[in-house]
Amino acid sequence: MTATVFDIKEFSIHDGPGGRVTVFFKGCPLRCVWCHNPEGLTKAPQLMTKESLCKKCFLCKKSSDSELFKLYGRDPDACPEGLITVSGREYTEDALFSKLIGYRDMLSLTKGGVTFSGGEPLLYTDFICSLSKRLRAEGIHTAVETSGYGKDFEKLCDSVDLVIMDIKLMDCELHKKYTGVSNELILKNAGRLMDSSKERLFRTPLIPGITDTVENLSGIERFLKGQPWEKLPYNELAGAKYPMLGMKYKYEKGEIQ
Amino acid sequence: MSAIRDFIAQKKHHVYRTELESDFFYSQFKGLCPEERMTRRFEYMCEHQKPVILPDEKIVFLRTIANLPDCFSPEEWDEIKKDRYIHELGYNSNLCCDFEKVINKGLIYIKAKADAYGARMIDTLLSLCDRYAEKARQEGRTDVYESLKDAPRYGAKSFREALQLFRIVHFALWMEGDYHNTCGRFDQYVWPYLKADLEKGIQTRESALELLEDFFVSFNKDSDKYVGVQQGDNGQSMMLGGVDSDGKEAFNLLSELCLEASYRVLMIDPKINLRVSKNTPDSVFILGSKLTKAGLGFPQYSNDDVVIDALCDMGYDLEDARNYTVAACWEFIIPVKGADIANINALNFPAVVEKAARSKPEFKSFDELFCAVESEINDQCLKMTEGINNVYFIPSPFQRLLLEPKYHNFGIHGTGVATAADSLAAIKELVFDKKQITLPELLKAVDENFENSPELLNKLRTKAPKMGSDDDRSDLMCSRLLQSFADSLKGKKNCLGGRFRAGTGTAMYYLWHADSMGASCDGRRKGEPFGTNFSPSIFAQTKGPFSIISSFTKQNFHDVINGGPLTLEFSQSMFGDDESITKIAMLVKAFITKGGHQLQLNAVNAETLKKAQGDPDSYRQLIVRIWGWSAYFVELDKKFQDHVIMRREYSL
Repeated sequence: MTATVFDIKEFSIHDGPGGRVTVFFKGCPLRCVWCHNPEGLTKAPQLMTKESLCKKCFLCKKSSDSELFKLYGRDPDACPEGLITVSGREYTEDALFSKLIGYRDMLSLTKGGVTFSGGEPLLYTDFICSLSKRLRAEGIHTAVETSGYGKDFEKLCDSVDLVIMDIKLMDCELHKKYTGVSNELILKNAGRLMDSSKERLFRTPLIPGITDTVENLSGIERFLKGQPWEKLPYNELAGAKYPMLGMKYKYEKGEIQ
Repeated sequence: MSAIRDFIAQKKHHVYRTELESDFFYSQFKGLCPEERMTRRFEYMCEHQKPVILPDEKIVFLRTIANLPDCFSPEEWDEIKKDRYIHELGYNSNLCCDFEKVINKGLIYIKAKADAYGARMIDTLLSLCDRYAEKARQEGRTDVYESLKDAPRYGAKSFREALQLFRIVHFALWMEGDYHNTCGRFDQYVWPYLKADLEKGIQTRESALELLEDFFVSFNKDSDKYVGVQQGDNGQSMMLGGVDSDGKEAFNLLSELCLEASYRVLMIDPKINLRVSKNTPDSVFILGSKLTKAGLGFPQYSNDDVVIDALCDMGYDLEDARNYTVAACWEFIIPVKGADIANINALNFPAVVEKAARSKPEFKSFDELFCAVESEINDQCLKMTEGINNVYFIPSPFQRLLLEPKYHNFGIHGTGVATAADSLAAIKELVFDKKQITLPELLKAVDENFENSPELLNKLRTKAPKMGSDDDRSDLMCSRLLQSFADSLKGKKNCLGGRFRAGTGTAMYYLWHADSMGASCDGRRKGEPFGTNFSPSIFAQTKGPFSIISSFTKQNFHDVINGGPLTLEFSQSMFGDDESITKIAMLVKAFITKGGHQLQLNAVNAETLKKAQGDPDSYRQLIVRIWGWSAYFVELDKKFQDHVIMRREYSL
């Protein structure tokens, strides 16, 4: 069993208790217009280029025999500045486990743990369940950040210590419009989580004009009925990574472009 | 913010300043001995200072003759320099005087043990105090008058008098010409006064904090005139926390108030240091991280668990080692008893590696190359240690009354150790283990500044092992380099009978040494600086704070205890709420628990971000929190960078 990971972030401080190591799994069934991790959308590895630092030597575009050049039309290894990276690396469970267990010392000293994020972890439920079990057996706290859109939701929740789940929009049509999918399954899974004894935290990203409306927020409040709930302020830097992927950010200044 | 703070920050007090001509003193000092010159200059300075009491100011004394012309003419200096070793400006500086004794006993007591020069200096200083007292009386500032009436002569009776007396002594040291006048363990020797005042009801926590803020502002009144490599490099460092002479935790309410005062005053002096250990309560780390949030780069942490043992092994007595403080930057010294020259020279690690790699046409193994590195380190250390003889200090009749010199060690910095360790790790990996390139080929590419080998440069910069990624290949290479440095200095005696201490600091050498050489084998191009102090190479793509801490705590610091911190820079946005601050505090504690010796943690502000825009290559490590993810600031498109800067300015 393998999984594609686009980043492993050390000492992330907003992804659960204490200092976290957050694993970002690649691939997501949703297409939120405000998404700030565009490299997490597709499962397939992609090139990311830090264009802002590029000195335009074009060595990466000279024809090369390398596998990567054949795949992407640019050779990351030819960049003298090291500005081009392949986002998305395939890990076996053993390889990821041994990488994460290397942080045991720092995680225990900062009273933290490992958080599975994405993309959407539900695309890798079996992988994460097995990995989480091994980490917990070693005394490492685990958490997952999920949209709740996927089957095996309860299985994923059961495998970790803490579930952090997004509730973005209560209105089904708006949810379809702005995330590409219906919220029916999401709300059903949220209900299951509320009924369980699992430690949890619900989150709503405050997207101006979309999720931050009075109607939406009061709807979520009524739905959650006093469940632990956190609202995340929107940050206008959310589009920063799109140029690195040659993609266009659709949500700009509160408008869909 | 207090009125006096703003008054000083706006430099309104500069109107009281006058300056003397540069030859003012030496033109009238011909034929006089150095001690007489120093005494006469001090007397003139004291007699001609104009007492100024600023509106609402509680802690007084202001330099109105702003400059301090030389006692010797350039020709006289040349004559002295001929056969003497002169360190920096020639004054015995970068030390910690006995403020405690003056505060406890007063200047009359000090005078009783002084020679004729020292006695004259104390007399003239006391008459300046009297003129200030008289001025206060005339202006109806009874509170100021009361604090100056008896305390300078007989010692302090209250917290306020203790602060005022400190100010007078510190002021006098600067006026004598001594520089990098450090404050030592202020929270320890002033605490009894605050404690007593709190018990008597003379002070409350709030009133004491207010007074302390006024006192902190006083460090910034004249400091623009205090010399250094750069503005701000004035060595007014203050140590807080740590253990007492019995080894018990000594962090007290005054330590806490100092952290708070620094946060509120938001000025670059005094420079706050905090002694901690793995047994220090979490709450102390949290108070420290709250101050870090202010973006001043305070506090700098040092680890009692490591430093005290190491100083003992260096020959310091346990009681003295437990009382350590820092000199101007981070060099460990003992208050009053340490007469060390903690920054006498620096070893350029990357240059050593470079020279060793070129010392033979061919090396059969990496071990053979490393032997060449070790022998080069040895040669350099020998050259440095044997080159320091017959040191001359301009006599300081006032300062020497406040010192009881017992330790005379010399400290030698170690520059660019990460660059050197990464270079060796790259050579081992590419040349000896994987045999992808020969050493002459690699050195040729270095000579050409990698102009003709972009793929090699890519490999070296992005794939070769780097310190900061928790990679033993580089980290343990660093251990070997430091050990070799320490071993080369072991057993050597300096000209004052002390030892040589190896260190991990760089001071300004990280620029100077880097400028003195071309590219290096780790992929550093010509013109790129080294990291400051004990830090990853500037361009290294480190994995993050956990890996950096792991990389920089693997080494044995016992024998390299001259000081020199790991520097971590976080965006101020990471210090959002109390929960984030607590997490950062835990990260600091993790560093200490893992046995790191010293840590400089910075919350970066808009100014730095702007500099980073203009010079992205020097700020690769700068992290900004975006929202659900963090980014390296320089990797963001300009419009996003601009936004972060705007946001920083709003949040300040």
